[in-house]
Amino acid sequence: MDTIIGYLNNMFAALPKTSQIEGVKQDLLASMEEKYRELKEEGKTENEAVGIVISEFGNIDELMEELDIAVEGEEDNLPVLAPEDTWDYMVAKKKAGFMIGIGVMLCLIGPALLILLDVLAETGFLQGILSEDAAGILGVVALLILVALAVGLFIFSGMMLENYKYLHKGFNLPHHLRSEIQQRSSAYASTYTLSLVMGVCLCVLSPVPVIAGSLINNDSSGYGVVLLLSLIAVAVFLFIYYGTIKESFSFLLKEGEYTREK
Amino acid sequence: MISSDVIRGYNDTFILYMLLDGESYGYEIAKNIRKLSDEKYIMKETTLYSAFTRLEKNGYICSFYKDETQGKRRTYYRITPEGLAYYHEKCAEWLITQEVVNKFIKEL
Repeated sequence: MDTIIGYLNNMFAALPKTSQIEGVKQDLLASMEEKYRELKEEGKTENEAVGIVISEFGNIDELMEELDIAVEGEEDNLPVLAPEDTWDYMVAKKKAGFMIGIGVMLCLIGPALLILLDVLAETGFLQGILSEDAAGILGVVALLILVALAVGLFIFSGMMLENYKYLHKGFNLPHHLRSEIQQRSSAYASTYTLSLVMGVCLCVLSPVPVIAGSLINNDSSGYGVVLLLSLIAVAVFLFIYYGTIKESFSFLLKEGEYTREK
Repeated sequence: MISSDVIRGYNDTFILYMLLDGESYGYEIAKNIRKLSDEKYIMKETTLYSAFTRLEKNGYICSFYKDETQGKRRTYYRITPEGLAYYHEKCAEWLITQEVVNKFIKEL
């Protein structure tokens, strides 16, 4: 019976909670419950009974039409999203966010590495391994390689999202999908907030190594800068990765900046 | 199984017919329609309840609550005089429809 209640709740999740709709929902539930009970008495198994009740439920759109509920985004000629497309889009978006995040991180790690090699060479840690000039050149080469990698990631992620370009022309989201995305979106909210808090903390704390380093001596402040860049790199990754996931929810639900202009 | 497209225009008529003999509630009506059609037509829940909404909006039926023995409240429906008039109208319409459609049906 829980399956039936869950099914009905899901069907009504995207509908406004007016007393009229609640009334219809209660009536529907009573009706389905009675059918379920009778099927069980006839000797049907739990699965059979639930299956029959749900298969005879019908189409919620029919009811919405009669209740004068305007279906959101019900515009003609716009593609209706299939569940597979929707989940594929979200996965692609998540991957792209990860790649862009890593790319930007690499762009920040590059200079950090350059400075690190420079400071190490200056303080004589690399004596016998690398000359100061060689360390400088190595740093620049590493920086360029990292930037090249980052650009590769940017291009690749852009190409991956190219497949979903048609979505920007508009789409209709069936409401059962909508309610599922809404559920996922609210489940994701706390993760997103946590990532934001962590990112902001890292940014706020990032100058601390520089300040601490400069208190010790000049060389240490060099290491401080390296740490500062690394901390910011991690923070930027958090912002981009978790932000992109959040964006995919807002985009599909047409919330926030993606609100449809009327 | 009958396609719902064909029968759509007569769902309201079925429900009104079921209410001719007195008040009833959702599941009972659905069950009786199914029985009367020899299990050939099963009205979907959403079809049933959108018909109730429509019929009530048009003043063909009225709804009221009745407490059941287990303390549960159930929505009952009763046909109104307007509903009865509408029912007769639909019956007359069907006779003509049947006559017309039959002219195009070849017995195989």
